[in-house]
Amino acid sequence: MSATSGTIWQVAARRGATYAAFFCLLFWVGFPVYYMLITSFMDPPELGVKPPHWIPQEPTIENYREVIIGKTGQRGDYGTTTEFSRMMPALLNSTFVSVSVVLLNLLIGGMAAYAFSRFDFRFSRFVYLGVLMTRVLPALSLIVPLFIILRKLKLINTLWALIFTYTIFILPLTIWILREYFDTLARDIEEMALIDGATRWQAFRIVVAPLAVPGLIAVGVMSFMEAWSEFFFALTLTNSLTYPPLLMSFRNLHQVNWNALAAATTIGVLPPVIVAFVFQRYLVRGLSEGAVKG
Amino acid sequence: MAAVQARKTSAQERKHWDRKWIPYVLLAPAIITIVVVILSPLVTTIYYSFSNIDLIRDRTTFIGFDNYVELFSSRLFWKAVEINLKFAAIVVVVPTLMGLFFALLLVEEFVGRGIGRTLLILPWALPWIVIGLLWNWVVHSQFGALNGLLYSLGLIEKYIPFMADENWALFFTAMASAWRQTSFSAILLLAALQTIPEDLYDAAKVDGAGMRARFRFITIAWIRPTLTIVLLYNIVLGFLQFDAVWVMTQGGPGDATMLISVLLYRYSFINFDLGMGAAVSNVLGLITMGVGLIFVRLTYRSQSTYS
Repeated sequence: MSATSGTIWQVAARRGATYAAFFCLLFWVGFPVYYMLITSFMDPPELGVKPPHWIPQEPTIENYREVIIGKTGQRGDYGTTTEFSRMMPALLNSTFVSVSVVLLNLLIGGMAAYAFSRFDFRFSRFVYLGVLMTRVLPALSLIVPLFIILRKLKLINTLWALIFTYTIFILPLTIWILREYFDTLARDIEEMALIDGATRWQAFRIVVAPLAVPGLIAVGVMSFMEAWSEFFFALTLTNSLTYPPLLMSFRNLHQVNWNALAAATTIGVLPPVIVAFVFQRYLVRGLSEGAVKG
Repeated sequence: MAAVQARKTSAQERKHWDRKWIPYVLLAPAIITIVVVILSPLVTTIYYSFSNIDLIRDRTTFIGFDNYVELFSSRLFWKAVEINLKFAAIVVVVPTLMGLFFALLLVEEFVGRGIGRTLLILPWALPWIVIGLLWNWVVHSQFGALNGLLYSLGLIEKYIPFMADENWALFFTAMASAWRQTSFSAILLLAALQTIPEDLYDAAKVDGAGMRARFRFITIAWIRPTLTIVLLYNIVLGFLQFDAVWVMTQGGPGDATMLISVLLYRYSFINFDLGMGAAVSNVLGLITMGVGLIFVRLTYRSQSTYS
């Protein structure tokens, strides 16, 4: 839509409205995040002064230091606790779980998507619809039997419980997106390679895989973020092994140090936020393909 | 079609033997794990909901519809349904409208658009648990950002304990979810808006269509499928949200934010009444499956129209 039409006043009014709306967006998204950030750089006494300091008067990185070394409450009576010593192991666990989920998901989902895309086999349509249907099942509602199954397998309170459940719950989405991707990819070139005597594997490796990289990245990034953020299964199937439920247990401490909590939160969201910003383009594409077409 | 026919000739024919088993091998890991981890629990949940589960003595007895009868006759359940409906209303209306608003903004050309688009991703990239915490800081009664802001502007004398009030608590837990869903909705709607061909507008202008008509008959008409999907996603989230509410209020104050999902958690993991938990699961599952089926139908239809 062009802003050049109309009188100068109309153009000015339109500009003004655009920037007013832009300010709304900045405020809506930025305000909660900004407040958490400044809290993480304040000493506890500075939080809660009236009127509030919108810029920390004496910015400090002490909160971050305390969270990283795992000891809070070194500055007087603000709830001494060693609970934060679980933070770094939890971040490591989260990393291990997320990376495993991404790799497993790409491998298993990629194989299945390729099969659906390239082969006509018995019941393929039926199985495909079946896989897609599982996407509308709420994970929340399967927790009870899942808990019991994993308990019998002695996997409760292990990282494997999380890796398996996350991988499988994200599989249908992966299969959908990657199948769409494979469907649109250079079928002819692949066929020619086959005619020229390449094996399926060679054709896949040389022709399909390199072209599918953007789709693989989109799916990989989405499963990383899902695995890093998941809370409900981590809460019920483990004893705060990963970052999200641990954050919840910090919040439930009797005397919670909100400044240290802000620092812990900020550290823990860096991986998904950085990944989201770096892979923004792939992510938006994957998201809209996965959501709209799937 | 010709390509498909061609595909079935020579090379494929020659390798007929490998076509038979390859797809099954490729599919096996996905299908087996989905059956074990999703379908078998689904069947089990249905069975459990008709059972009384004694965890201590490890005994499961079939009791027919007793759990459902107990559930549907409990005041607590209907209260949860009522609360959840109010919650879902906010989570559907606010993000859909605000998402559309931001998407329309970010499709315009202006300095700062790139920053806006990038910033839009942020709420979507944050874990739900963190979103709950962020909003905790916003509404806290002693150092909340909202109280601070209202106080700085001179609008209030004393800080308001929002989360001690039942209505405010429900409103703000819903707003926390709306905050993230606004980003999600705006991202999808923006992607849809960007696909509108510019000459549609030009043609409409030539035909004398006013701004309002162009908005309604081109913009809205074009993004309607996406708008439907966004609505459905927001509805489903309105019924499945747990994380952000749990970290903010754990269902309180009193039972003011006791969504159906919170009730499910209470039955299953606080009372350890897994039979009742399973019954609640199934009710919740039916609600979202209903919405989900509409969703699959709609997308499946839109797919078949352009292929």
